Amino acid sequence: MTAVGASPALTPAPPAAPAPDAGAATRSGLRFQDVTVAYHGTTVLDGFTLEVAPGEVVALLGPSGSGKTTALRTAAGFTTPLRGRVHIGGRDVTDLPPYRRGIGMVVQQYALFPHLRVEQNVAFGLKAHRTPRAEIPGRVARALEMTGMGGYARRYPRELSGGQQQRVAIARALAIRPDVLLLDEPLSALDAQLRSGMLAELARLHRELPHVSILYVTHDQLEALTLADRIAVMKDARLVDCDTPRRLYRRPGDTFTAAFVGQANLLPVAVEWHDGSVSLAGAALRGAPAAGLAPGDEAVLCIRPHLVRLGAVGGRNALAGTVADIQWRGAGHRLLVDLDTGPRLTADLGELRVPPLPGERVTLCFDPEDAVVLPAAGEDGADG
Amino acid sequence: MLVHSRAARLAHWTLFLLLVVPVFALPLLMVVGASFADRWDGALPSAFTAAHYADLGRGQSLDALVTSLSTALVAGLAALTVGGWAALAARGSGRRLRHLLDGLFMLPLAVPSVVVGLALLVAFSKPPLLLNGTTTIVLLAHTVLVTSFAYQSVRAAIGRLDPALEQSAAGLGAPPAQVLRRVTLPLLLPSLTAAFGLCFALSMGELSATMMLYPPDWLPLPVRIFAATDRGALFTGAALAVALIASTLVVLAATARLRTRASYR
Amino acid sequence: MASVLSEAPVRAPAPAVVRPGRRPRSVPGWVWALPPLAGLGLVFLYPLVLVGWQSVSPDTGGHSLAAWSDVLGSTAFHRALRTTVWVAAGSTVGCLLLGFYLAWVIAFVPFPGARLAGRFIDLFVALPSFLITLSLAFIYGSAGIANGAWTGLTGSHHTLFAFLTTPWGVLLAEITYFTPFVMRPLLAAFSQVDTAQIETAASLGARPGRIVRQVILPEVLPALAAGGSLVLVMSLNQFGIVLFTGAKDVTTLTLLVYSRAVLESDYPAACVIAVVNVVLSVALHSLYRLCLPRAGKEGGNRAGA
Repeated sequence: MTAVGASPALTPAPPAAPAPDAGAATRSGLRFQDVTVAYHGTTVLDGFTLEVAPGEVVALLGPSGSGKTTALRTAAGFTTPLRGRVHIGGRDVTDLPPYRRGIGMVVQQYALFPHLRVEQNVAFGLKAHRTPRAEIPGRVARALEMTGMGGYARRYPRELSGGQQQRVAIARALAIRPDVLLLDEPLSALDAQLRSGMLAELARLHRELPHVSILYVTHDQLEALTLADRIAVMKDARLVDCDTPRRLYRRPGDTFTAAFVGQANLLPVAVEWHDGSVSLAGAALRGAPAAGLAPGDEAVLCIRPHLVRLGAVGGRNALAGTVADIQWRGAGHRLLVDLDTGPRLTADLGELRVPPLPGERVTLCFDPEDAVVLPAAGEDGADG
Repeated sequence: MLVHSRAARLAHWTLFLLLVVPVFALPLLMVVGASFADRWDGALPSAFTAAHYADLGRGQSLDALVTSLSTALVAGLAALTVGGWAALAARGSGRRLRHLLDGLFMLPLAVPSVVVGLALLVAFSKPPLLLNGTTTIVLLAHTVLVTSFAYQSVRAAIGRLDPALEQSAAGLGAPPAQVLRRVTLPLLLPSLTAAFGLCFALSMGELSATMMLYPPDWLPLPVRIFAATDRGALFTGAALAVALIASTLVVLAATARLRTRASYR
Repeated sequence: MASVLSEAPVRAPAPAVVRPGRRPRSVPGWVWALPPLAGLGLVFLYPLVLVGWQSVSPDTGGHSLAAWSDVLGSTAFHRALRTTVWVAAGSTVGCLLLGFYLAWVIAFVPFPGARLAGRFIDLFVALPSFLITLSLAFIYGSAGIANGAWTGLTGSHHTLFAFLTTPWGVLLAEITYFTPFVMRPLLAAFSQVDTAQIETAASLGARPGRIVRQVILPEVLPALAAGGSLVLVMSLNQFGIVLFTGAKDVTTLTLLVYSRAVLESDYPAACVIAVVNVVLSVALHSLYRLCLPRAGKEGGNRAGA
């Protein structure tokens, strides 16, 4: 689908010899430094600090209204921060208009220019950057090749499918060889099947562009987990957590992250001891300990549904309850169990030979390694 | 969002004001100012009076105001009926008839009003329909001229209607007449009121066809304003013009109010 | 009316398609179109046809093209036609330039009172045209502010601004009056322009000028064309402004129709001029209506070809 050999033309020339003493600012692809944005007195982004290294993909993940799009728009220059600075490629761009920032941007609705052919769309940025005329056709062709749209150069956007339009939008953003690529929910307008295809495609593009920093705004945890080197979780205008997908998933820092990145059972417990011992309405359980919790504190035990097992192994971490509902979900069964101790637990199990019926008594268990004890956080205890 | 630098924005706003104020705002202000003028020797009126307005309340001026208001009322209602009916009929008919209706009902917009006046004069100056010199011919002219606007507005409003609403009404067993009365017309009410307001305003200001047709006992405001300014009574003309603007605005505001109320139903 | 009745057979195959909610037995749709069509036919179409008829029927009886040759050969007609076309073309260009800029500022460089300005424009459209000439008289007229200030400053009684009674005065009044008619469709079209496209263009390095030329303009071209042709038609048909200008040497076709018919009672001549005017206007109006559907959805797609 793509000529990989074409990629060097698209990537910014790698520095011949990276200066060993180059400070963080010069290495940084994109850096937010304590950025605060407010509209009409409402703070929509609060003290946001984040760095995206060259070649790194950082996903901004959060529910709508959490400030993730504002962060992206501030990087692009469409929103002026009240406070804080934005650096791109080591340059302070806070006061620069969007057209002087050297960014590539792809938005949800593609925003292709409907009156321009595909090749003219891709050439738009090159012309705006006053690229020598002779270079333009070659660079347009390479950008289209790279996204697998080489055969569509003469088409108009309306003659393309949604997925193809998105490829053109990406080619258009890449053609100007940006240091930073901003992707604002680029896949959310596509249907599920196309989306997973495009996700793989984006991952491949990223491998071919080892020097481009990518900021990827999404509310879809799967996109974030698949694509990102790091995930920045946002909530209520703030950055609440930022780590590699694996760490965020295995060891979320709080109940919000636990519920938002992947699904989670959040059981209200009381801390018994520093080693991760807790009690759920008197029943003793054990999870991986989290720092900052003292015996007697209220806490939340977070268990991923697919790490819950049926039956009791060695009698540890056993939870008895009554089956409230059972759903067959193709790959396996989902059990909703009302625990004797109160809360309802979701368990995603493999396909069961003899599935229990609603009303039947069952015992569930989990490995202490697979559960995390988190500080209780009031209203966020929603089940993912 | 398009112009990012504050200085450039300020420059555009300044230029905007420099264009809008002398071209649009100042002329209207001057009419109001002149309507109070008693003498105008230098750059601005040197003496003021409310006499021009006092004159409005009696005699010819009052007649003209009443004439204009009644003409606009009759023409507006007639245009709304005919134009609205035609627009509804256009929806229920085939593509070719719809195009024909569109073409014919928009035609008065293309034909100069003076020619509409001339045409009525030519057509109705001899028996069997001798209307020349009557009030009716003025009313007819106004109706013809504003019907296009009524047709256009209602037609556009029908295009914006969600067909699902009427379809569900019909699906619930309502016969067409009931769908029209209970669903379509109430939904169109805001647009109908707006269309009436527009027709009324246009009829209030109609001069061209009226100049061709008006009988001596039916002089609407615009004709009276022309007569006043033509004989040099500019300030009286200005006062009459302010009366014309004010009454038009009152009706427009009233229909806008009705419209908001109707659209909250 | 003949054309209406000839439409009827066209509908014949249609009743097979029963619209939802329409009982098959009800009156066919075209019947409902007859009453308003009959009304329009009687008070508009029939009189319009008579105008054409009258233009070849002199008062002396019989039929002749004498009125046509007289009018078409007269210098008054030629001058009126020239003035009409000149003023119409001039005001169209003026309105397009001024209207585009003003609407652009309201839409893309918004300021606190921008919405109010939009409402003000709606209001302007509802006002009669002759008000503009009347008010301009108070500004640039022989006794208006401008000349009053000039006299006050210099003591000279020479009227500096005397253009009101020239075609330039008509042009200024028409630009003032018709600009809102360009702005309204433009503002609607501007609001349809995808913000994401503008932002993407900016992120690709395009400055505002380039964005206006290459992103916004192609998108709103149909609306601009519609507004422009509307102004062209309206200014061909404009009467009040010219009448109120009251200058002897500024005569347009519509004014000529009025003076021939009402002042001179020369109906055949008035009808000839009217026919010429109607043909011009209707031709341009058809052009306008051709622009309209494209102003809706798939506008400007050929601009990049």
